[in-house]
Amino acid sequence: MTDLLIILLAGFFLPLFPMSMVFNVILDKVKRSWIRVLLFITWPLIGLFIVMNSNVIIPEWLLPLALSTSALYALRMLSLREVNQWSGFLATSLWALLWLAIMQEASAELLYVYAISMSIPLVLLLLLSAGLEQRFGAAYTDLYGGLARTIPRFSGVLVTVVVAAIATPLFPTFFIMFDMVVETSSATPFAAMSLLLIWLLWSWAGARLIQGLIVGRASDVKIADMDITTISLYSFVLFALAVGGIYLSGVIL
Amino acid sequence: MEKIIIVVAVLPLVSAFLIQLFGARIGRGIARLSVAATTASFLLSAMLLSWALLGHGAQAISLGNTSTILLFDPLSTLLATIILGISLIVHLYSVRYMAEEAAYGQFFVLLDLMTAALLFMVIAGDLITMVIAWYLVGVLLYFLLGQDTRSQTAYRFAFWTLITYRIGDIPLILAAALLYNAYDTWSLTVIFSEIMANPDAHQVWGLPLTEVVAALIGFAAFARSAQFLLHTWLPYTMDGPTPVSALMHAGIVNAGGFLINRFAPVFVHSGDVLNWIFIVGLITAIFGSLLMLTQNDIKKALGYSTMGQMGFMIMECGIGAFSLAIYHMFAHGVFKGTMFLSAGSVINDARHNDGIPKDELYTFAVEKQPNKSRQPWLLMAAITLAVPLVILVFAHLLIAEDYFQKQGAVILLFFGWVTGAQLIFATYRMRSQNIWRLVGLSVLSLVIVVLGYVFISHAFDLFLYPDAAFRAQLYSAATIDLLRFDVLVGITTLIIVFGWVVTYYAEQNGYRRRQQTKRLWLNFYALISREFYIIDLYTRLTRTLLAISGRLNVWLRWY
Repeated sequence: MTDLLIILLAGFFLPLFPMSMVFNVILDKVKRSWIRVLLFITWPLIGLFIVMNSNVIIPEWLLPLALSTSALYALRMLSLREVNQWSGFLATSLWALLWLAIMQEASAELLYVYAISMSIPLVLLLLLSAGLEQRFGAAYTDLYGGLARTIPRFSGVLVTVVVAAIATPLFPTFFIMFDMVVETSSATPFAAMSLLLIWLLWSWAGARLIQGLIVGRASDVKIADMDITTISLYSFVLFALAVGGIYLSGVIL
Repeated sequence: MEKIIIVVAVLPLVSAFLIQLFGARIGRGIARLSVAATTASFLLSAMLLSWALLGHGAQAISLGNTSTILLFDPLSTLLATIILGISLIVHLYSVRYMAEEAAYGQFFVLLDLMTAALLFMVIAGDLITMVIAWYLVGVLLYFLLGQDTRSQTAYRFAFWTLITYRIGDIPLILAAALLYNAYDTWSLTVIFSEIMANPDAHQVWGLPLTEVVAALIGFAAFARSAQFLLHTWLPYTMDGPTPVSALMHAGIVNAGGFLINRFAPVFVHSGDVLNWIFIVGLITAIFGSLLMLTQNDIKKALGYSTMGQMGFMIMECGIGAFSLAIYHMFAHGVFKGTMFLSAGSVINDARHNDGIPKDELYTFAVEKQPNKSRQPWLLMAAITLAVPLVILVFAHLLIAEDYFQKQGAVILLFFGWVTGAQLIFATYRMRSQNIWRLVGLSVLSLVIVVLGYVFISHAFDLFLYPDAAFRAQLYSAATIDLLRFDVLVGITTLIIVFGWVVTYYAEQNGYRRRQQTKRLWLNFYALISREFYIIDLYTRLTRTLLAISGRLNVWLRWY
C-alpha cells in the first residue's frame, strides 16, 4: 500500500497519466519565465528523489503505464502550436521514460544526469519561447512564420535547440534512448518498439514545430535578431551538451 | 598509412566548423575553403583506395580509448572515394549555382556535414558510430532539402524524407541493440567474425539472431533506398536545390545497398531474408520503371527512374550479387548525378531551341512511325534471341566457367538477355538507309556494354570479396529450390513473350482496341497516373493521426 502511494506521489513528478496533467496545468498557469525554468529543472529531480529514497519496489504494470504516458504526450505533441505547451508535453513524454531507467536499475547519479540532460534543451526552448513572446507577443507556430528570413540567427538557434530536444545525435537524450532500447530489446521487445515509435513521434512533432515557425516569407516589419553574445551563450551550452552526450555514451553504452 | 582514413572523415567536419565560426569574416571564401577541404579529403581517400587495391588487408582503427572504430577495408575505401568524388563535383557546381542564396554559408556547412556523415557511415567499424551517422544523414538531408526557407512545398516534401528515414532508423537501432546484447561488443569486426565462426549461437524472440538482424537491416535499407511502399519521398523531393538532388540521387539514396553489403556476413546465413529482399527489389524495379514511363514531369520521371534503379540494386543483393550492387550504385550515381546537374542547362537551352534532330530515332521513338519494309521474321527473331544470349554467355564464360552454376548469375543473365533482345527488337522497325548497319551497331554496343559490365563487376567482386569461398556462400545463400526456380523462370519468360506478342498485335492493328479493353486500359492508366493511390493513402493516414492527436488534446483540455 505504501509502495503504491509513493508511486502515485512520484507519478506527479515522473509523469504518469493522469497525474501528468498536473505539471502541464501548472506550466500553463505560471507566466514568469524563470519560474518555468525552475519548474523544468526541479520537477523530475523531485520525482527521482522520492523514488530513490523510499526503497519502493516498482511493479511490472508500471512499464506499460509509463510507456503509454510517454506515447500519449508524444502523439498529442503533433497537433500543438504553442512552443511552451509543446515543451511541456515533450518534458512529460521524456520524464515518463525515467521509470524505465529506474526499472533497469540505473544508479541514482546516472538517473539525475538523465533527468538534467533531458531538461536542459527544454529550458533553452523555454527561453527562446520567451524571446519570441517578447518580439511577437506570442510563441505560436504559423502565426507569423518565416522566422528564418526575418530573424535568421534566432531561427538557427531555435532549430538546433529543437533538434537537441528531440533526441538527435550527439545530444545526451539520443544516447539515453539508445541505451534504453539496448536494455529492453531482447527481453521486452514491445518496450523497445514502443520507445522507438515514441522517438519517431518526437521527430515528427519537432519537424512540424520547426516548419510552422521558420518557413515562410520574411516579415515586412523589422524585428531585432538575436545578438552575438546571446548566440555565443546558446552555442556554448549546446556544444557542451553535445560533448556531454559523447561522454555519456562512453559511460552508458 | 591506414590511419589517414581518420583525416579523410574529419576534414569535412573541420571545414564545416570553420565556416560556421568564421563564415561572416571570410565571405565568399567559404566556398573555397569547403572545396579545398573536400578536394584534400578526396585525394587522401583515392590514395587509400589505391593502397587497398595493392592488397593491403583490412584494419580496424580505434580512436583512443573510446569504443569508436573506423574501418580501413575495400568497401569503406571504395565508397569513401565515390562519396567524396560526387561530393566534390556537387561542391564545385554549388559555388556559382548557390551564389544568389541568402544562406550561402549555411549551405556549405550542411553540405560538409552531410559529406562527413556519409563518410562516417561507410567507414564506421562499430555499431554506435554507424547508427549515429545513419541517423544524421536523414536529419541533414531534411535541412538541405529545405534550404529555401520561403517554400512550404520544399519543407513539406523534406518532411516526407525525414519521416521515411526515421522509420528506417528504427530497425537499424533495434538490430544494433540485439547484436550488442548477443555479442557484448559494438565492434563490427568482432561481431562478424563470431557470426562466421558460429552463426547459430544466438536466438532472439524464438528465431535465429542472424535471420532477425538480417530482416531488420533489410528493412532499414528499404527505407533509405526508396523501396516500394517506402518510396514516396523520392520523386517529390525536387524542390530542394539541384546540387542537393544530385547528391541525393547519386549518393545518399544508395545507402541501402551499402548497408546490405556491410552486413554481408549476416546475410550469408539468412537465405530466406535474401529471397525477400529480391522480391521487394523486383517489385520496386517494376513499379519504379512503370511510374517513370508515365510521368509528364521530367523531374518526377527522374525520381521514379532512381526508384527503379534502386529496385535493381536491392534485387542484385537479393540474388547474392553483392558487389554487383556496389558497381550498380557507382554507375547509377555517376549517371544520375550528371543528369541532375545538367538538367538546368538542358531546360534553359530547350526554351530557346528544342534542338531535337528529326532523325531516324526521333521518327521512331517520338513520332512512332516505324519502318514499313520488313525483313524475314524468322531470321530477325533468331537474331533477336540468339545474339544477346551468345554475347552474354561468352562474356561470362571468360570470367568463370562455373558461373552458370549459380542461380543468381542465371537471373542476371536472363535480365541481360531480355534487355538485349528488346534492344535489337526495337531496331528492326526503325527507318534506316541500311538496316544491317543499324543492327550491327546495336550488337556492337551491346557487346561493349556487356563486356564492360561483366569485367568491371567481376573486378569489383574480386576487390570487395577476395575470398572465393565467401563469394560462393553468398550466391548459395540466395539460392532457392531448383523446381521453384525453374517454374519462376518459366513464368517470367511467358509473361515477357506475352508482352512481346501483345505489342506486336497492337502495332499490327494500329493500336485500335475494343471498347472493353479500352476501358480496362484507361482504368489502368488512371491507377498509374495516381501513383497507385499510395500517396493518397498516406495522406489520409497522416490526417487521421493528426485528427486523433487534436481530438485527444481537446478531450484532455490541452493538459
